Amino acid sequence: MKFVVNALRRVEGDGYVTLNARIYSFLLWGLTNPRVLSPSLTLRQMIRIGVEALPMASLVALSVGFILAMQSSTELGKLGANAFIPDLVSLSLLRELGPLLIAIIVVGRSGSAVAAELGTMKVNEEIEALKVMAISPTRILVVPRYLALMIMLPILTVFGNCVGLAGGWAVCIGTLDMTSSFYITHAVQRPELWDLYSGLIKSVVFAHLIITIACYQGLGVTGGAEGVGRATTASVVYSILWIIIADAALTGLFFFVL
Amino acid sequence: MREAPRKIGSGPKKIFKAGEIILEVRDLVQAFGDRRVLDNISFQVRAGETFVIMGGSGCGKTTLLRCLIGAQKPTSGSIHLFGEDITRMDPFELDRIRLRFGMNFQFGALFQSLTVGENIALPLRHHSDVDSSIIEMIVKMKLELVGLTGFENFMPSELSGGMRKRVGLARALALDPEILFSDEPTSGLDPVMTAVVDQLTLDSTRKIGATAVVVSHDMTSVFRIATRILMLGNGPRQGQIVAEGTPEEIRKNPDPFLQQFVRGEADGPIPLRMAQDEYLKHLLGDG
Ligand SMILES: Nc1ncnc2c1ncn2[C@@H]1O[C@H](COP(=O)(O)OP(=O)(O)OP(=O)(O)O)[C@@H](O)[C@H]1O
Ligand SMILES: [Mg+2]
Repeated sequence: MKFVVNALRRVEGDGYVTLNARIYSFLLWGLTNPRVLSPSLTLRQMIRIGVEALPMASLVALSVGFILAMQSSTELGKLGANAFIPDLVSLSLLRELGPLLIAIIVVGRSGSAVAAELGTMKVNEEIEALKVMAISPTRILVVPRYLALMIMLPILTVFGNCVGLAGGWAVCIGTLDMTSSFYITHAVQRPELWDLYSGLIKSVVFAHLIITIACYQGLGVTGGAEGVGRATTASVVYSILWIIIADAALTGLFFFVL
Repeated sequence: MREAPRKIGSGPKKIFKAGEIILEVRDLVQAFGDRRVLDNISFQVRAGETFVIMGGSGCGKTTLLRCLIGAQKPTSGSIHLFGEDITRMDPFELDRIRLRFGMNFQFGALFQSLTVGENIALPLRHHSDVDSSIIEMIVKMKLELVGLTGFENFMPSELSGGMRKRVGLARALALDPEILFSDEPTSGLDPVMTAVVDQLTLDSTRKIGATAVVVSHDMTSVFRIATRILMLGNGPRQGQIVAEGTPEEIRKNPDPFLQQFVRGEADGPIPLRMAQDEYLKHLLGDG
């Protein structure tokens, strides 16, 4: 394993694939020597990227819960099938909307911040200063952010799912004369464990895309403040693009192939 | 599996005695597009020297320094640092060499998110197992050297330009490097601080026996510290060596270009003003 790690650390160039290779070489190394993963830096990033996104994520999830319940009640109500609203809300949240919308919030809030931060460091020659001190920027800047997001995005997603379900509940109780127990039993019983897992797998993939794209764009900045702006925009645009493409691919994989 | 260089300067390495060639540059060319910023530069630096690179603004001093520290791959030519050609090294091998020198960037390049103290401590923390109380002491010592006692907890954004440069110098000296690369360490400093920084450069070379490669165009400072001077040309002589020698030889060198630079005169062979017809052509275009 040491051989693989060292071989990867010799890779030159700043491409997207090289960045990924470097990240994985440090993660591999971290398996035997956790110090490499800079636990304290990772924790700080978990708070910055993850915990501080909580309010915004909750607000979005709550609104989505409202919307799902209200929209479905207009059509399902005509069929007299309002009893299926809890199932519909919980399934769409767990499988699809929870992971997707939380990821998009995190792109806008944290992905762009990471790109701007690393970009500013690049412009300021800080990245170069690190390299000249024989300190790998991937190791102390990228890996902690990578780990932080890989851990925090699934957690945020589970949290967002719960908040979304609460939003659906509020609509069902408030306007549709449903009892709480009915809503909760249906919303919780209908989804299978796999529905939750498939959503979480998606959010892990999204986290990988968000953070690698943000770091790649940030570290690739050239040309001053304008370059930082360009990289920030690019990181948001490409992240959202690839998240949606990956979502389509994964949905196809989960529900047609597996 | 531990990180390769745990202890500072561990592993087999050659110790360079005063007078041995520690840095050798051969036929260095650095081109951006078809513009040759450095054109066939060759020189040698011996251990214990204070080697000063001077030249007009934009003549390629920073570019040369960036090549020397391996931050940039030159277009062609070789750079032997500590006897090894760094232009052929991969990043992993370069890291081993990089532990042996310190670099003071022209604009400081301090980490904006860390305090002054943490900036200086970073290389120590990362490359050694030294106890944090000892690191704190070393940080205090280095700050005292550059006249910034008590500024540990300031953020770089709270410092003036000259103070930032001195923090940059303190950080470059944190690991007690064998070679100190310093890019205009005294520009923007008052005369007293200039003298302090010059003395520091001298101390690290004369007392500790390290080598210094300094970019500077402050003439008083150059003649105070230099044991040898390299003058790079600009304008029509872009990228070439105008002169090389001891301070005495540079003072006596009759090259008008060099003399204009040393005396700091506006009139001379360094082309600042265009002739009138040339200027008109420039303004109006060739037609
Ligand atoms: N990355 C780059 N791409 C294109 N041209 C560059 C690049 N870096 C430097 N140059 C050019 O190389 C020349 C030398 O730049 P350099 O920064 O080395 O000058 P300098 O001698 O350090 O000047 P100063 O004393 O003002 O710091 C400049 O004319 C600049 O336009
Ligand atoms: Mg310069």
